[in-house]
Formats: sequence, C-alpha cells, structure tokens
Amino acid sequence: MQKNIRKYFPVFALPTLIAFVVAFLYPFAMGIYLSFTKFTTVENAKFVGFDNYIQAFSDKDFLNALWFTTKFTVVSVLTINIFAFFLAMLLTKAIKGTNLFRSIFFMPNLIGGIVLGYIWNLLINGVLNKYGVDITFAAKYGFWGLVILMNWQMIGYMMIIYIAGLQNIPTDLNEAASIDGANNFQILRHITIPMVMPSITICMFLTITNSFKLFDQNLALTKGAPGKQTAMVALDIYNNFYGRIGWQGIGQAKAVVFFIIVAVIAFVQLWGTRRKEVEH
Amino acid sequence: MATITFKNVVKSYDGVNNVIPGLDLEIKDREFIILVGPSGCGKSTILRMIAGLEEVTSGDLFIADKRVNDVAPKDRDIAMVFQSYALYPHMTVYKNMAFGLSLRKMPKEDIDRKVTQVAKILDIEKYLKRKPKALSGGQRQRVALGRAMVREPSVFLLDEPLSNLDAKLRTEMRSQITQLHNDLQATFIYVTHDQTEAMTMADRIVVLKDGIVNQIDTPQNLYNHPCNMFVAGFIGSPQMNFINAKIIAADGKLYASFSDYKIPLLERMCDPLKEYIDKDVVIGIRPENFHSEKFYFKEDESNKIELFTNIVEMMGSELNLYGEIDGNKIVAKVPSNPNIKLNSNVSLAINTEKIHIFDKDTQNVICD
Repeated sequence: MQKNIRKYFPVFALPTLIAFVVAFLYPFAMGIYLSFTKFTTVENAKFVGFDNYIQAFSDKDFLNALWFTTKFTVVSVLTINIFAFFLAMLLTKAIKGTNLFRSIFFMPNLIGGIVLGYIWNLLINGVLNKYGVDITFAAKYGFWGLVILMNWQMIGYMMIIYIAGLQNIPTDLNEAASIDGANNFQILRHITIPMVMPSITICMFLTITNSFKLFDQNLALTKGAPGKQTAMVALDIYNNFYGRIGWQGIGQAKAVVFFIIVAVIAFVQLWGTRRKEVEH
Repeated sequence: MATITFKNVVKSYDGVNNVIPGLDLEIKDREFIILVGPSGCGKSTILRMIAGLEEVTSGDLFIADKRVNDVAPKDRDIAMVFQSYALYPHMTVYKNMAFGLSLRKMPKEDIDRKVTQVAKILDIEKYLKRKPKALSGGQRQRVALGRAMVREPSVFLLDEPLSNLDAKLRTEMRSQITQLHNDLQATFIYVTHDQTEAMTMADRIVVLKDGIVNQIDTPQNLYNHPCNMFVAGFIGSPQMNFINAKIIAADGKLYASFSDYKIPLLERMCDPLKEYIDKDVVIGIRPENFHSEKFYFKEDESNKIELFTNIVEMMGSELNLYGEIDGNKIVAKVPSNPNIKLNSNVSLAINTEKIHIFDKDTQNVICD
C-alpha cells in the first residue's frame, strides 16, 4: 500500500509543483532578473548590472522609508504582542462574557486594510482638528496613527493565538509553582512565558512580517504625507513603480532588497524563539 | 509540630451544593495519613484545601495551630506531589528541584548541596541535566518527590502520586515512600483510590464517601472492624461478601438464617443482636473467611454452605471462587486445589468468628 502510493507521488505532487513554479518561482526569478535591468515592460528589459541597486540606496526617500518602517515595526511588534498577551491572560480567567469579548476583539481583523485606513483617518483627524492640525501635519502623527491602526487590527488576532497557548498550559504547573513559592509575576516569568513560546514564535513572525509589509493601511491613512515622510517601504516601491517613469527597475531592486531584509529578520526571529520552545 | 486540624470545614464550588459538607479531622504531627474513597468523594479537594489551592468556604483549617484559611500556599510550609507530577517541562531536573529554593533566595552553594543530596537519596543524580521529557514515568515521579523534599517542608501532600505508574514500579515506589516518611519525620497526607496503597502505607486511613468521613482508623482496624457496609466493601480485595439474612433465636442461641442455612453466631453477639431477632440484617463475610479445608468444618456441619462455582480464578497459591447464594453474589478465596472445578458444587466452611453483622436500613455495623 505504502509502496503503491509512493510510486504515484510525482503524479500527485505535479499539479502543486506546476502551480508553484508558474505562480511563484518564475515571477520571483523574473523579479530578481528585472532588478538588474531598465525596463517599462518585461519585453524591453535592458541589463544594467547593479545600477538599480546603487540608485536605490542613494534614494533618500527609500532610506527614509526603510528607517520609518523599521521604527514602526519595532514599536508595533512590541505593543501588539504585549497588549494581545495581556488581553489573552485576562480572557482566560474565569470571568463572565469572555467569549463575547474575544469575538469583539477579533472583529477588526475581518475588516480590510484600506477601509480601516479611511476609518482611522476620519477618527484621528476628528481629534486632531480640535487642535488645528491633521494627520498629515507632521510625520509623528502619521507614525502613531499607523501604530494605533495596526494595533487595533492585529491585537485581536494575536490574542486568539495567545489564548490557545495559555489554555495549553496545564493548571497544575501554575499550582506547583505557587506552592514552590512563586508570586504571580514569578509565575508569569518562569512558567507562563516559557510555556507559551510556540505562540510567541507565531505571533512575533506574523507581526514582524505584517508590519514590515504594511501597504494598504499606509496608503489609506497618510499616503506617505507630509512629503514622503510617512511612506513605508512597500508604499515607496509602489510609488516608484507606478508614479515615476523609468524607475521600474529601481523599484524592482528595492523590492528585492526589501524581500531579503524581511526574510533575514523573520528567519533570525524564528531561529531565536524556536530555540526557547519546549516539548511537553 | 505540623498537626493539621479541620474544624467544621465546608467546601462548596457553587454556593448551593457542598462537596465537603462539614469536615472535622485532626491529623497528628509526623503521621502518615491516607485519604481514600471512590472518585468524586472529595479527597483531592481536602488535599487542595490544605495546600491552599482551594479556598475553604466556611469553617477553620489549622496547620501547626495557625489558622491558614487565608494564607497563601507558599507560606504554609507544605510541598505537594501531583498526580501528573507537574514538572516544569522547560527546566532541567536540577532546575525543577532548585526552583523553589531559588525563589526563596537561598545561596547557590546551599541549593547545590541540597539538590545533590536529595538526588542521591532518590537515585536521580545522573538525570540532573536532563529535561523531564527525557525521563521515564518512575524517574519523573522521583523528581517530583525530590522537588518536594529539597524544601524540607513539615507537611507533604501527595495526590495519587503512583497512579500513572505500572504495577511493578508502583509496588517499588510504595516502599520507597514509606521509607522516606520514616526518614523525613514529616507529616504525610496521601490521596489515593487504591486501597492496597492505603493499607500498606498508612498509619491511619480516612475513608470518605460524598465528602463525609465514614471512618478514621488504622488499616488493621478498618479491615477487621469496619463501621458500615461502605467501608467494609471499600477496603479489601475481592470485596467483602454481603448476604441478606434473618436473625433467629433457638435453643438459647442466635443464628443467621439465609437460603437453607442456619449459621450459628458467637455468644458475644447475642447482646447487640437482641433487638434484631426475627428481623432482616446483612451479614458480611470476607472472601478469605470461607474455607474449603476439612479442618474448618464444625462437627455438626452447621457452618457449612454449598457454592456452585460460576467462575474460578486461578491466582497462583489461591483460587477465587465466584457463585451465588439466594441472589447474593459470593466470592470465596481458598487455597489452590485441583479438585475444585468450574460449574460444580464446592463445600465451604464459614469462619463464624469473622462474621460482621450490619443493620439493613442504616447499613451501620451492629456487631463483629
């Protein structure tokens, strides 16, 4: 039986393999190739070596976007995970209405990024207008607006993952720790956090990659204004590609650099947090 | 001094039904006490109340003369061994054992000395660097014991600590725990539903049913003088046989009459049974108090019954014979004998010295 199935392995794997090659591998390889060319369409690409990469790294907007994205990622990854974790802690206690609260906190995740961006644009501007400014008045407003938006959208989702992790901790571990002499903070530090490391790995991965790749919320909330000060990397690449004639190759080079940065950070994070996971 | 006293302790989870309706119990210092009873009888709840993991709904709980109703588990000078061991999976065996001591800010050298010393006693020295998942059930069990021992508490609470082990290891660990109790000179409170553990390890056994203490006594007394049918049936394996009978008086003597038999009762039973003449009672006979050897039959064969064997269990040196008399299921434990066959009548002598007589309505013992 096992042998028979193994014999047909290529037949079963082929459709997926073809889809993977056509829809991912080929465009990805093509993207890398195009980053070394000057082009407007794929058919008129001319090889230019590392020119696009040199131009990309000399573009102030790109460097600003990289710095802005990094700052945004650090702040939102921390805030989202801390808030989500404590909400999960709260909603795994035996209090009434936990299911209702869980559903409510998860709901923002069901709304699309563009819609969320416009909603928060209205809300934040509604508040800022009272002080005679709006979200595009200074980069700091856009930055914190994006942080709030991202928190609002992601906390519920991460909370669900943390809840699953917390519910997986046997209650007698906490009881054993409290008999051993641990107070609530020590139980959190020595038992709860190490025990939810698998959830932390997933949540960190999702929040890091999603924060780095943020695009539609950025487009809808600030569009990079004022100037291009609040443009994140994805928006900067988009602007290059569709907003500046002859910059397609540079946009492509930026996209490759962007991919490498996100991939390296995600892998380092996965390696770092996975090491701390425990098998029961 | 780590005496533990329950004064009218009530435990209720929902405020309506009392899991423990009102417990009065005194556990002496350095005593090995075992709480037994069927599932859901409240034995683990009592243990968890001592540990401080469950709140006392009303009443007073004292440990060493100090009221501990509102004292945190860490301040009760207790250690607990859980059924699941509750070892911290992300810590090594050493760290598992040292955790409680490091929380108490004990100097590292002292922690190291204590952990090594206890590991040596429990023979787990070579596993100190391993994580719990790399240990067998028996080794985990010993680590859990070690974690409790390094703290040198005055009370050890053990919640069915052997139930996840295989039969051979369980027997081995039983004697180890008894030895530990002798060496440590601490109060041990042990919860189990396994009556063999209770009988072999305890100084005193507390038999519980529906949160109510039925009897507190030494294993010997519980076995020989159970206070009611529940205790009589719960302690002993196979369990005590109960036969519906009537007390009749003839020739100045009393007899227990059932089926076609009239079993003479001892003279000392006459007085307590006076009120029960011509009334229905339940007589209790332990399986080993039926005998197949000739020596036990009275000359007039008044203590003889016939049992038709439905099942014959070969236990090695003994046979368990299963049958029925007058609708009462009977088990007799007799020495192994090739002449005893399945589906045949076996003559058995009842040891009349060991008959227990219970009130049919209250199920309490009348005399034994």
